[in-house]
This record gives sequence, structure tokens and C-alpha cells, in this order.
Amino acid sequence: MTLQVCIMTPDRIFWNDQADEIILPTNTGQMGVLTNHAPLITALDIGVTLIRSNSNWIPVALMGGFALVKQNQVTILVNEAESAQTIGVDEAEKAFEEAKTRLEQSQGEKQRVEATFVFKRARARYQVVKQLAV
Amino acid sequence: MAALASTFKGNVACFQARQQNAAPRRGQLQVMAAGIKEVRDRIGSISNTKKITEAMKLVAAAKVRRAQEAVVNGRPFAENLVKVLYGVNQRLRVEDVDSPLVAQRPVKSVALVIVTGDRGLCGGYNNFVIKKAEQRYRELDAMGISVRLICVGRKGAAYFRRRPQYKIEATFEVGQSPTIKEAQAIADDIFADFVSEEVDKVEMIYTKFVSLISSSPVIQTLLPLSPSGEICDINGNCVDAAEDEVFKLTTREGQLVVEAEKVRTETGDFDAGLIFEQDPVQIVDALLPLYMNATLLRSLQEALASELAARMNAMNNASDNAGELKRNLTLIMNRKRQAKITTELTEIVAGASSV
Repeated sequence: MTLQVCIMTPDRIFWNDQADEIILPTNTGQMGVLTNHAPLITALDIGVTLIRSNSNWIPVALMGGFALVKQNQVTILVNEAESAQTIGVDEAEKAFEEAKTRLEQSQGEKQRVEATFVFKRARARYQVVKQLAV
Repeated sequence: MAALASTFKGNVACFQARQQNAAPRRGQLQVMAAGIKEVRDRIGSISNTKKITEAMKLVAAAKVRRAQEAVVNGRPFAENLVKVLYGVNQRLRVEDVDSPLVAQRPVKSVALVIVTGDRGLCGGYNNFVIKKAEQRYRELDAMGISVRLICVGRKGAAYFRRRPQYKIEATFEVGQSPTIKEAQAIADDIFADFVSEEVDKVEMIYTKFVSLISSSPVIQTLLPLSPSGEICDINGNCVDAAEDEVFKLTTREGQLVVEAEKVRTETGDFDAGLIFEQDPVQIVDALLPLYMNATLLRSLQEALASELAARMNAMNNASDNAGELKRNLTLIMNRKRQAKITTELTEIVAGASSV
């Protein structure tokens, strides 16, 4: 028995495959889901999900959304998803550093809210490419 | 044939008027007083223009098809989202939702998101949206509400930038295929505006795709969202999220037609045993931005489809007009040619008889 993992973004189905285990970046910390998990719904933060099939871990950056676990079917709805193949390592690192300084220098409520979003996304992307390198 | 003859008579009348009043006016056929060669040149130039407008029409038709594919690709996401939103709301009915995106505040300032195209040559498409936006601006202004504009698409931005009374906060360019990245960028901006309480309401003006020959600019409230995830128009009529229309461009008897299909998403209660990993309110918090982004993307896609349909129509009309112009000019040219032959014949006969 395996999990059926389906990641959907507003414009397409990003991922639809079998997996043995998935680790989700929920709002309240990371959470692993194995087969035959009880039905569950959780909000997802901007972060990295790890999908394991056999002994292979595949990282995917998720840009906020939620996940529904039901009868070995994991449905993940997110704003955007990106896998390591589509992200350049140097680019991601540079964007991450830039976002960090921007967040530190942000003034006012509006700027801070915007900068936090940018920072979280850049961080998720950076984490995805770094995990591949390790 | 009768209609054609009458236009021809009209042209002749215009030709006579020209002789009396020599100053040519724009929009009139200026070849009337010209010789055969000029008329022939004009016919050539009109044929070329017609070729261009016909090509543009076909390009637009091909793009409409692509735009509609994008809408279809977004269906699974929208369906799942509505299902979950409905289920969570069933659970939440008794609780008070307190998400930043549903916060109803007294409205002091409004952000208007105006969705126009990047290019012209699409009939009144851009103008209708701009007129609607100006009208809404005046309404809000009269109520003493400060308005800031967020322009999506080059045409709207160019128009409002030329008029200093409008306060433009941001402009976005979407290009020929709106993706989630662009929708996200716009969503981030209005989200930050709203959460930081710089604006109390966000309205969007875009063109709703009705059919290939008709589309209408509509005003929709993006924020605050109603907790049940319904999107309301300004009159407070709620558009049910579960009901959706999908458009299909097909050909029937050689003509392009659009078929609208009402799709209803099955909604049901969750299992009683479903675990909420976080507080249901937190889950709604995560759902609503997703819902807003999806709505925004959908509107952008619909606006693009409307633009392309408008362009298809405009170019179709232009091709028809070019065809008619060409027919009329050909008639005039033939007349002139015959008149010339007759004159020449008369001259030859007169010359021969005088010898």
C-alpha cells in the first residue's frame, strides 16, 4: 500500500505520483505522513516538502496552501510549487541573501508584510537546491 | 445587390460634392477625383490591409483556444479548493472566523484593480474597462473615499498615467498568457495593502467573458472575502463558488462558436473523524489567500479571453469592410476604364469621319 500524492497549483497539476512517505511543512512545524494515516487537514506554510519513494527523497518547494489526507490520498493545494530542476543554485542563493537584507531593512507594516513573503519564498527555493547538493 | 448599388450611388454623390468643395475630408474616399491608376493603387493597398487583418483574426482565434485550455487546466485545483472550503465552513458555521482577509472595516480607502490589455486593435475592449473604472472612481470619490489604482496591462496604465488626478499605486504587465506568478505578484501587493490597513476594500474591474461576440466589464470585490469563500459583486449578489462556467471554442459549420457549460462541483460534508491539525480558523487562514489567488488568476484568464475575442471580432469587421471597399472601388475603376475607352472610340470615329 502506498500513498497517492497529488500536488495542484491554480494553473496545473504539478505532481501526481505514488510515494511511501511525505513530510509536510505545516503551519505548526513539520509533519510526516505514512500510509494508512487517519484523515487529516492541515494548513501549509511556505516551505519544503519531502517526498520519499523507496529510499529516494525528493524535495519540492511549496508556496503556501493546505493538504488533505484521506484514504491514502494526499491532496496538496498550493499557490505554487517548484522542484530542484527548475531552480538555479547561484540564482537561488543570491535571491535568498537579497530577500534577507530587504526584510532586515524594511520599514512600515506594508513593506514588512511584502518582504516577509519574498523572504519565505526565497528561503524555500534555496533549501530545495541545497538539499539536492548534499 | 441593392445595398451595394446604393453605396455606389452614395460614392458618386460624394464624388460630385468633392468637385464643388475641393477640401478633402478625412474618412472619405479620396480616389474619386483620381485617375484609373490611383484607384488601382488604392485597391492594391486595401487588399494588403485586408490580408493583415485576416491574419490577425486567425492569430487571435488560435490564442483564444490556448486561453481556454488554461482555464480548463485550472479546473481540478478550483474544484478541490471549493470542496475543502465548503467542508471547513460546515464545521465552522458556529464559530466566528477572524482571518485578516475577511476583516470588514469601515471603508475609507479603496484599491481598484483595473485589468486591461497590452495592445489595441481590439475594438472597444480597453475603452469599456477604462470607462467603467472612471465611473467607479467618480462614484467612490463622491462618497469621500480615497481611491488608488492598480493597473494590470499596458493600455490602462498608459491612460491613467496621463491623467494626474488618478493616484496609481502599482502597475503590472501580464503579457500574452497570465500565469500564477503574475497573479501571485498582484495578490501579494493587494494582500499587503489590505492587511496593513492602507486600504479597506479591494475591487477589481475586468472583462467577463460571455461569448465570442459579447463580453462585459464587471466590478468584483476581491477583499474582504466573505468567510464562506463567496465572491460578491458590488451589489452584494454573491457568485456561488461551487458553480462555474467553462467555455469551449469549437467550430460548427465552418464558423467559430463558443459553448458555455455550467459545471457544478459536488460539495459534501467531511468525515466526522477528520482531524484538524491546526485550529480550523488557521486552516481557513491558509485557504483564503489560495482562494483569492485562484480567483485573481481566473479573472486574468477571462480578461485575456475577452480581449482576444474582441480582437477577433474587430479584425473580422475590418476584413469585411476592406472587402466592401474593394468591391466599390473595383466598380468605380471599371466605370472609369469604360468611360476612357468610349472617349477614345469617339475620338477615333470622329477623327476618321473628318478625314
